[in-house]
Amino acid sequence: MIRNVTEDLVQLGACVEGDHGHEAVRVYVLLNNGRPILIDCGSHLHRYSLMQELEEVLDGSTPEYVFLTHTELPHSGNLPQIASRWPDIKVMVSHIMTRYIEIVPVLPLAQITTVFPDTTLELAGRKFLFLSALLKDQPSTHWIYDIKTRALFTGDGFGYYHAADKCDQFADEIAGGIREEQFRAYQVNVFRHMRWVIPEKFNADLDKVFQRLDVSILAPTHGDAIRTEIPVHLARVKQAVTKISNDFRHGGR
Amino acid sequence: MNVTVFGEGIERVAVREITPSITWITHCLGDQVTDYYADFFAGMENPEEFVSNRVVDYPYSAFIIKDDKSILFDTIAPRQRANVLKALELALGDRSLDYIWISHVELPHGGNAAAIQKQYPDARLVTMRGGDHYGLHGLDDALLVAPGDVIELGQHTIEMVDALFGDHGLTQWAYERTTGFFYSADWGHNLHEPSRGQCFMFVDEMEATGYTREQFVDDVKVNARIQFPWLAWTDVDEIAAAVEKFLQQYDIRIFAPSHGNVIRKDPQKYLKLFPEAMRQAVALAARAAR
Repeated sequence: MIRNVTEDLVQLGACVEGDHGHEAVRVYVLLNNGRPILIDCGSHLHRYSLMQELEEVLDGSTPEYVFLTHTELPHSGNLPQIASRWPDIKVMVSHIMTRYIEIVPVLPLAQITTVFPDTTLELAGRKFLFLSALLKDQPSTHWIYDIKTRALFTGDGFGYYHAADKCDQFADEIAGGIREEQFRAYQVNVFRHMRWVIPEKFNADLDKVFQRLDVSILAPTHGDAIRTEIPVHLARVKQAVTKISNDFRHGGR
Repeated sequence: MNVTVFGEGIERVAVREITPSITWITHCLGDQVTDYYADFFAGMENPEEFVSNRVVDYPYSAFIIKDDKSILFDTIAPRQRANVLKALELALGDRSLDYIWISHVELPHGGNAAAIQKQYPDARLVTMRGGDHYGLHGLDDALLVAPGDVIELGQHTIEMVDALFGDHGLTQWAYERTTGFFYSADWGHNLHEPSRGQCFMFVDEMEATGYTREQFVDDVKVNARIQFPWLAWTDVDEIAAAVEKFLQQYDIRIFAPSHGNVIRKDPQKYLKLFPEAMRQAVALAARAAR
């Protein structure tokens, strides 16, 4: 479903349903004055509806870049369709990525660029900061901060499961926002390494990211955009990390 | 060294027998290694913490165990698909493939599952229980297994093992009880040097061309630093103790990582280095995170 997060930032994609509830699989589009940029490119499962949504949102303009938070199929599975439709599109991935083998081979390697963390780049006339993801389910995950909208694209970080009647709703449209239990249910499933993590150490580093960046929008791939009450939701994610770690500590790692 | 290689460069795939029932199928870059990994150690945050600055190759492997039934562990990546299918044909001969076991859903591990299943339509996908939405990862209708579950092949029994260290949330390891074969997916790699002719060698053969235990510690820790950056937030003693406990639990006689060469002789020589290597990896990750 197409939803405007802001005038310039659009959220696309669908949900999948499973034992833990609904899981969103999002693609974000920065319209960027006719020089669009995609953040992640969705699942092959949703390729038909997703390509229709992209055509509608792009309205004839050609996307210049796909920024992949990482290359797992829920984030890159629709790349073959995008590469076929817009063969000149360029892909930005983390420097940890081995380009020739960790991404579906549908574009010339010259169109895939790796980025080191803490790098600010001007791409399609717009400045972005690429930083190492703190919540990652794949080593080559990075987060991307759009300096103009102050949106932080977090891949699997800040993901959450939602109820069947809450599809496509932004956090500010749901009474109380996203609950700690929703973040926790997702994180315990995706970030299994949390069983080893000492929450105080992790949460301190997560705080540093938000002290450094003035984040106004959290844009997870597996959740809908969070446009308000960022500190509240950050605190809930940290609570979820603490509970997961403590549960493992008491239940055995 | 009896190795069959299909293709070349970024698409090549080699087949080598470890025992008559266990076959190693692997991709590495060989002569093209400097195009991708020239600064593998020098590019780290703490290059001074490694004993040497070798130009190393980074393999991506799969393994087959053949018995009354046969199983494939991981699939290598779509880039190597055509040659993986040729390798499977060579390794299996007239046998059927009964199971395609996926350690985790990253492309170099599970990215050819559908293509292999198309070639071997009776093969059942096997992956880890606990995850959801495997359709998103191209693993519809997989048999979902948990640590302790077993698959009987005949004389061989595959036990699912809790992956202590996974670079992906849904990662499993596997142990074969008869041969002591252990597949560690992304943990515990050694790295080899194409310039010394080490591609497709077993580690005991690499020793004859200069590979050392000090290099092994380097390799394990640099890979752990890359694959498991969350080690920065862990307790070093807890990690080392978990490794020691794990090594006591399993009688490993063939150590087979996805991204390293196979250890088939005197594995204890290397296995006993893991606790210290992981200690160094935790320290390395913590310093890098500062």
